[in-house]
Amino acid sequence: MPADTAVIDTAVLEKMFHPKTIAIVGVSPNGFGFGIGILGAMLGIGFSGRIYPVNPKGGEVSGMKLLTSLDEIHEPIDFAIVAVPAESVPEALEMCRKKGAAGAEIVSAGFSETGTAEGAALEKKIKDIARRDFRIVGPNCFGIYCPESGLTFLPGVELSRESGPVGFLSQSGGMSVDFAQMGRWMGIRFSKVVSFGNGADLREVSLLRYFKGDARTTIITMYIEGVRDGREFFNALQEAAESKPVIVYKGGLSDAGGRAVLSHTASMGGSAVIWRSLLQQSNAVQVGSLPEMAQAALAFSMLPGRVYRGVSVIGGGGALGVNACDAAEKFGLVIPPLADDLQQKIMAILPKPGSSAVNPIDVNNPLVPPHILKESLRFAAMDPAIDVQILFQLLYHFRSLALGIGVKSMKDITPHRDLADAVGEVMRETGKPVILVLPSRIRDIKSMDVEEVLRETRELFLERGIPVFDELSDALRALRHVSHYNATRQRRLRET
Amino acid sequence: MKIIKDAIKRGATALSEHESKLLLAEFGIPVTGEKIVKSEDEAASAAAAIGYPVVMKGSGEKLSHKTEMNLVALDVRNDTEARETFRRFTSRKDVEVKEVLVQQMVKGDRELVAGLTRDPQFGPCVMFGLGGIFTEILEDIAFRVAPLTKLDAMEMMEDIRAKKILGPVRGKAPVDREALANILITLGKIGLEHDVIKEIDINPLKVLDGKPVAVDALVVLDAGKK
Repeated sequence: MPADTAVIDTAVLEKMFHPKTIAIVGVSPNGFGFGIGILGAMLGIGFSGRIYPVNPKGGEVSGMKLLTSLDEIHEPIDFAIVAVPAESVPEALEMCRKKGAAGAEIVSAGFSETGTAEGAALEKKIKDIARRDFRIVGPNCFGIYCPESGLTFLPGVELSRESGPVGFLSQSGGMSVDFAQMGRWMGIRFSKVVSFGNGADLREVSLLRYFKGDARTTIITMYIEGVRDGREFFNALQEAAESKPVIVYKGGLSDAGGRAVLSHTASMGGSAVIWRSLLQQSNAVQVGSLPEMAQAALAFSMLPGRVYRGVSVIGGGGALGVNACDAAEKFGLVIPPLADDLQQKIMAILPKPGSSAVNPIDVNNPLVPPHILKESLRFAAMDPAIDVQILFQLLYHFRSLALGIGVKSMKDITPHRDLADAVGEVMRETGKPVILVLPSRIRDIKSMDVEEVLRETRELFLERGIPVFDELSDALRALRHVSHYNATRQRRLRET
Repeated sequence: MKIIKDAIKRGATALSEHESKLLLAEFGIPVTGEKIVKSEDEAASAAAAIGYPVVMKGSGEKLSHKTEMNLVALDVRNDTEARETFRRFTSRKDVEVKEVLVQQMVKGDRELVAGLTRDPQFGPCVMFGLGGIFTEILEDIAFRVAPLTKLDAMEMMEDIRAKKILGPVRGKAPVDREALANILITLGKIGLEHDVIKEIDINPLKVLDGKPVAVDALVVLDAGKK
């Protein structure tokens, strides 16, 4: 049975993501093994169900008795985390299946990734155990993080328990953990994260189909290096991207090289070119790095699903003008001059001289108080050519001000709370989204107060539904992804 | 298809230019009017039937770089020139030329390219782009995985940097995008339905009064597939 492409039984996967009883098979009380690590992470994050740690040798860990066998569990289990040595994995899986588990994640390594015949044979055994009502994640993976149920990875004790719109499927375990960690402070909330490692059973196609049908997931993100069945993947991707944004980070793009071809068409159609083409054809959102993927996920999470073109940029103290316009053009956006009457109204409230209300709106200096920024945003939003506003804030300049007037920490004089309130209000009132760009240019060890204020500011804005980026170019690129996806989707719906 | 069967029977890995175009024409892709001739008289009457001026090319399985071998004559204008050209090609000592291809001369000034390749993972893929000598220099091309919807084909045309070439350039009629889309969709279909056809190049695909016409073509075969 080609497990990955087979029809998925959603109820089985739901039970895996939301288990009430789980067994962790392979918890050694000594050292820092995967088993004990995951047990600690699950207890730490506050998993709401019952956990049964298993070790044939028995013993005790964190005040919990280790069961010597699954037979000692006096109820069916819903899910299992398998951390035993590779050669014992098939037997452990069979036992979990007989115990009623809907599936298991295998964090153990030592399978096809080793490139050995033994490893490949073991992985084949795992494939044979997998079936429609018993699905496998892994081996050689970090498994599942599901904030709703409290299922988490090994280095995932601190991850958020707050659910959100983003589903992530990943061939890389490290990438899963990093993305989940970045999500915490960047403001990205996940429905489920699945690190599938070698992907003996569940992998890109089945998980993509699951996420497409999952009402809790409205944004799909994925990191893939290779796919098992290109045609099936293409079909699944097209179907998924028709209903919700799919952000794809494809690792290891390379050109044809070495293929024996006769025609020009074939010689120019290397794998990197074809990958990019099929992502475009599917209207998938193509990203080239983890930060870009995270920024796109943030933008899709917080910005209404619209087509954005006209942008107002408001800030002071940076080299905003020409730079902003150049960057915008690169991403298919425009920063149009505001209507004359609005320019005049904004000009009337800005400090003079040295300010400009054309767009970008240069408010003259980075210390301009929140109420002036609020008024400027309000007037700019009145221009029908403006779809979205970017507020550019160089808050670190408050450190110089603090030092100049003898205040110890810039935290005591920075009006970031008032600013967050003011911007949140103006966004609600105008219905036009605002994006905050918050660069950090002072990063030496003595200036931890800058770091603290910037982090607080980020959180304050995120709480109000305002996405925050470090750089203007990051914000514009993420905005372009949202806009391009929606524009293409709308155009295709219209034309077919 | 007989053309393919015959080619495989004689051990060929690719169809000749003329065979390639006969095959494409079977699928409804517009190609230049042309005829293989084996004598001076045939050459003259074929040229007259197609209408002067014509292009004449030495034809034969082993003749792949005809321009470099001086076996292409453009703008052959009358009976005398057609006969002369035939004699010149067939009397060459360095290379054996038994047949000559007499071809309609398409004066289209816009050269496009269309083609088919097979990706090891994703299967048949269709290419479209800027043709002629610019294909390799600028690589201004777009690919789509087959099958292509009409929308895919239309979007491909918007993908290339030089997309303005499809518009009404210098008083010329804009390219018939419907006709172009049909060619691209057909290439994808060929790829999906005929495993024996491994790769296709149509280069140049010229534009004559707004209509795309295959002026040169290469069909590469995979004898292992039937």
